[in-house]
Amino acid sequence: MLTETGGESSNMKASGVWMNNNNNNNNIEVEGEREVESPSSSGYVGERGSSGSVSSASGTDGIREVRDDGDAVVDDDDDGVNLVGDSQGEWIRGKRHADEDDASTSWRKRKKHFFILSHSGKPIYSRYGDEHKLAGFSATLQAIISFVENGGDRVKLVRAGKHQVIFLVKGPIYLVCISCTEEPYESLRGQLELLYGQMILILTRSVDRCFEKNPKFDMTPLLGGTDAVFSSLIHSFSQNPATFLHAYTCLPLAYATRQAAGAILQDVADTGVVFAILMCKDKKASLHPDDMLLLANFVMTSESFSPICLPRYNPMAFLYAYVHYLDVDTYLILLTASSQAFFHLKECRQVIRIESVLSKSNVLNEVQRSLSEGGLRIDDLPVDPSARSGSLFHLNQRRPSESVVAIGGPAGLLHFIYRSIYLDQYVSSEFASPISTPSQQKRLYRAYQRLYASMHDRGVGPHKTQYRRDENYVLLCWVTQDFELYAAFDPLADKGVAIRICNRVCQWVKDVETEIFLLGASSFSW
Amino acid sequence: MGLSSAANTTTTSEPLKLCIFDLRRGQHEGEELEKILFFFPADLPFPAQLSVVGLSEGLITFTRIFSPEAACEVIEAEMHSHVFFEAEPDIWMVMVVAKNKETEAIWRIEALRSVLKEIHSLFVMFHGSIRMLLDKEPGGGLIRSHLYTFIMDYLSDFLMGNKFLLPNFRDSLKERGTVQMLTVGREAAIEVQSLVGTLDSCMGNALGYSVILFQDLLVSTTLSPDDTVNLFSYGILRLTQRILSSGGSTWSYLRKGNASSHAESALDRLHGLQDGSSVRGDNFQILRPLQHGKWSKGKDGFLVTDIWGVEVGNLVPTTPTIWLQQTEHKMYLCAYQHKSLTIILLIPVTSMLNGEEGISMLKQQLLENASLKIHKVEEKLAKGWGGENAYHVKGYRYLLVDGDSNISRASPSGKVTTLTKESLLALNKVREDFDLERNRTKGDDLEICIRAKNNSWVIARAARGKQLYIVLEKANETLLYASEAVEKFSDRYCNGAFSLD
Repeated sequence: MLTETGGESSNMKASGVWMNNNNNNNNIEVEGEREVESPSSSGYVGERGSSGSVSSASGTDGIREVRDDGDAVVDDDDDGVNLVGDSQGEWIRGKRHADEDDASTSWRKRKKHFFILSHSGKPIYSRYGDEHKLAGFSATLQAIISFVENGGDRVKLVRAGKHQVIFLVKGPIYLVCISCTEEPYESLRGQLELLYGQMILILTRSVDRCFEKNPKFDMTPLLGGTDAVFSSLIHSFSQNPATFLHAYTCLPLAYATRQAAGAILQDVADTGVVFAILMCKDKKASLHPDDMLLLANFVMTSESFSPICLPRYNPMAFLYAYVHYLDVDTYLILLTASSQAFFHLKECRQVIRIESVLSKSNVLNEVQRSLSEGGLRIDDLPVDPSARSGSLFHLNQRRPSESVVAIGGPAGLLHFIYRSIYLDQYVSSEFASPISTPSQQKRLYRAYQRLYASMHDRGVGPHKTQYRRDENYVLLCWVTQDFELYAAFDPLADKGVAIRICNRVCQWVKDVETEIFLLGASSFSW
Repeated sequence: MGLSSAANTTTTSEPLKLCIFDLRRGQHEGEELEKILFFFPADLPFPAQLSVVGLSEGLITFTRIFSPEAACEVIEAEMHSHVFFEAEPDIWMVMVVAKNKETEAIWRIEALRSVLKEIHSLFVMFHGSIRMLLDKEPGGGLIRSHLYTFIMDYLSDFLMGNKFLLPNFRDSLKERGTVQMLTVGREAAIEVQSLVGTLDSCMGNALGYSVILFQDLLVSTTLSPDDTVNLFSYGILRLTQRILSSGGSTWSYLRKGNASSHAESALDRLHGLQDGSSVRGDNFQILRPLQHGKWSKGKDGFLVTDIWGVEVGNLVPTTPTIWLQQTEHKMYLCAYQHKSLTIILLIPVTSMLNGEEGISMLKQQLLENASLKIHKVEEKLAKGWGGENAYHVKGYRYLLVDGDSNISRASPSGKVTTLTKESLLALNKVREDFDLERNRTKGDDLEICIRAKNNSWVIARAARGKQLYIVLEKANETLLYASEAVEKFSDRYCNGAFSLD
């Protein structure tokens, strides 16, 4: 969640508090490099989960679940203790299974590979295995792409049994995903786009020029140490709906609190800051939702000042991001165009005392409270349509998430995502117990991805309504001019009742929209 | 990986490329051409042909790294789709089609793959397996000339003017590789049963099979489902009364009664085929079972053709023979036609010790013992036949597929053409989605129901080995209404196979 103030250079726009904690951020795949020395480098650590049900189902300290697909999953406990010990070395290297290459059986069996290579076939990044050992493999990928290109065409997808190979060409940069995760082509292609965006965020598109000068240019040194950023992004592909919805999400806050936070950030407007963002916990969301996602994914240290590029804002230019953690969960990002602004911004923070004002005005406490209470819970869905709550913050309405184990909503409702089209924001319900484990959640997100891809088909979409039933779920989707609703039900749910429940969800979201969405802030001009 | 083997001169102008290659051949550098057993268009320069084969082989090898049990099935590029089918171990068929929205070249991969499957299974039915012919003549000349004539004859059915009309999104309510059944009343069914018994007894101890068609619909079969599909496909391509009376062939409603003979001559001109029942390519005698206009009805009601040659001396055409898929038995094919009724008898070659003589005796027996029954059955079926739109269900456009028995039923083509392009495109997509989903879950209980941009409902259901696809264009806007419409259809026409309760 975050508060954000933004605008074109000195044109500051209104702000509010955004939130992005709806995810199961206490179930994080271990992939990231840890800044061990930094106490608040909680970048990829899910601290307290926003949903008590999740914590209670999997809240054992540092359990590391290694599945047969090689996806290592850490279930952090409520104190945010991360696993220590044997696997630490691997963490710090920031890459798992670095000893593997394309000759290893284990490597071949990984469920989802990502590769970045140059147009001359030089490896730049591989999710698994040592890039240098994968030079031959990388050359093969390059050969496939250029062979089809020489024939006057462009390869997009190769399908073989459960496997898909997806290609994306971005100038001199080739990106390839090899996956048997059953995600649709459109989703995987979108993930490659984000992966490219993450690279641009670190380097800007001016790297293209290096390739113009020298086609055999070796990019790996430029990206040194950023493995963790890519791993974390790849991890979020199966954890964070923002990656396929292209929208961000906000922490529920009373309207007045968000207004107050926005006003506080507004004060830095005169200091050359392009955007000011107050974020919380795991990072998702962006200025353009995708930019915010990539930026949030990049942030990992307690206080830093780094050059970054927002690919959707301006892929050719660097901005400078000043990051400051206000507490374990909450951090402030100031974006400026000036590379000399570090001390100025540090000062600006002190001068305006954002920190103290935020905490005096109780914003930080409210943020913490909301974090512990979590987002929308399906078992709170008002069953009686006449009983509108109007607010999530009525007395006794919200409880600390640990005290509640949601058992699923009415009529077999398991989960929903509501996306407001104009606001570029979505709200996603907390997970109830039938989908409490990371693998269950991943499966649900993948089902949503298929639903999303099918609704938004490029040729014939968007469709208006979809009902989809398989052995796992009944899924319902509406796409209207104003919003999109994605809802998952038990596979035995009755169609008629499920439709009624969906209508209630929409009504509920509308009733509390001032608290779950950031209104009137995202008037950026691009 | 074969990728570097050829100069890449593929041009994007070819709307259709089709090739068959054998990965066991041409392993050495400079011998790559040996791999290619068939290529269309044949006049494409060799480097361009090798480039298609090289890419295909490269990706087969590449995908096996990750997916050893199922190699490359499709390559989607911006302008082309490459559809793969491993017809026999190491023998691959690859079809490359250009995409083009303006010319409605919008494809569903599985529909294209079913064309490849049909080519192969028909080929095997007439000539035996590709590997067998390769083993017979390792030089490859034999198989090449067989494949060439066979596939060119097959493709001629898709030729309109000088363009190939492959099954595109407009054919989404059809399922190639299935048979369409005639629904018969109880009384007629008993008559048919009795006729089948009589046919059996005509064949005596020969352990033969019979297939009965009425118009373009299957009435009865004693063959296995796979062999039935092959024979049925051949029947409606070349044998039924409608085909014979039209003097050439028809393929579908689009092409009804036109173009085909003209198409063939265009093809023949293009590729220098002689207008003979067999051609001698590379000194091999080649049967052309798919050649147009080669079947006719004799005075005695039996269908005759000289495709299989003529007996020296008496000018009596040789009886056709085919191979059964499962048993790999060679069978005589003997077809009899009375009005709209076509009866195909298959008799094992091994049980006919006296060959052609035995066949004439069998024919004689059939005329003596069965013709009365045949007439009676034809009359009954003709009376009960509801015409071209017999299986139209008002308000619905549908396709029902029974995957276990390879049977399908669909709205009549004429009715499907009333659907808007948008609905058909949405259906095509839903079918593609459904193909993937069925493949993914291996599940048999799936449902997708979409309200498209143009407000039509597109519904796909799978249950108990069956699939149902429905388009409702004039339906109410609620999902419940659409679901109810499907339930009604399921209860009335599918014995409730898709009903929820």
